[in-house]
Amino acid sequence: MLSRVALRSAAAKQSTCTALVARTSATDVSGVRDEKNFPRPVRGEPGKVRLGFVPEEWFQFFHSKTGVTGPYTFGVGLATYLCSKEIFIMEHEYYSGLSILLMVYYASTKFGPKLAAWLDKEVDSVENEWNSGRNESIKSLEDAIQDEKTAQWRAQGQELLIEAKKENVLLQLEAAYRERMMQAYMEVKRRLDYQLEKANVERRLSQKHMVDWIVSNVTKAITPDQEKQALDRCIADLAAIAGRK
Amino acid sequence: MAIGDYPKEYNPAVHGPYDPARYYGKPDTPFGQVKINEIGAWLSRRNKTPSAIAGAFSRAWWRWQHKYVQPKKVGMAPFYQLVVGSMVFFYAINYGRMKHHRNYKYH
Repeated sequence: MLSRVALRSAAAKQSTCTALVARTSATDVSGVRDEKNFPRPVRGEPGKVRLGFVPEEWFQFFHSKTGVTGPYTFGVGLATYLCSKEIFIMEHEYYSGLSILLMVYYASTKFGPKLAAWLDKEVDSVENEWNSGRNESIKSLEDAIQDEKTAQWRAQGQELLIEAKKENVLLQLEAAYRERMMQAYMEVKRRLDYQLEKANVERRLSQKHMVDWIVSNVTKAITPDQEKQALDRCIADLAAIAGRK
Repeated sequence: MAIGDYPKEYNPAVHGPYDPARYYGKPDTPFGQVKINEIGAWLSRRNKTPSAIAGAFSRAWWRWQHKYVQPKKVGMAPFYQLVVGSMVFFYAINYGRMKHHRNYKYH
């Protein structure tokens, strides 16, 4: 943390002093990152060579002037000149150099491709090793995102379920309410029926008593005279009915 | 500018990460596009202080490194280039002694 702060302050110092210098040296002083003229360096492919070490650009340089065979002609001509004038001197080391060159050529053609394939494989494996941690963490994060989405989807299902449960509870409450309403109705009806029945019974009993009492009093009040008169009257009525016939 | 510092013209805010193979000053005409009669003027414009010459060699070194040595899958080319270069160099410095091994007097 502290080292980073120190670095940042050092960079700030550097940029101010370079800005001062740049103003005098007529480069741009805008201080804005110039991605077009100064892109971030990238690790490129290795440069092409011919004959093992001569850069391809050397041959391209000749092509427009001399054609494709030009560089080789130039090389052979130069070598001929240097040898014939003994500017290049063939002393004893020259021949040992020739033999070493032969050995190097043989080794390159014989073992080169296998060695290159093995080294490329090693390079790839090292790179994969270095990237594996990063790739694994990316993959685990992606998995976590996927799991989170699944969990959200499940939570939506839970909402649906809870909705249904709430509806169910409401239905149960409704049913209980209606049941109690029915119960209250039945209770009230039962009490009213009881009252009605009781009133009926009382009225019937009182009527019966009244009738009994009246009948007994009436029969008690009838004297033998009255009975006799009534019988006579009846006989007289019967005789009158008989006489009319 | 002491030893180990960045070049004066390098501004991290503008140029981004430092590329040791790159010249951050005001670019002149590339040497490959200079006309023959302009070579004198071109050479007189060059900065010939020891540090500038060392910087030019350093940039050349890093350009070679980036092109032939640092890529991911290099072949034998940089090693052969080193061998050939050292052969030429040692041949040149030993040329005074080699001259006595000439086989012919007249060419």
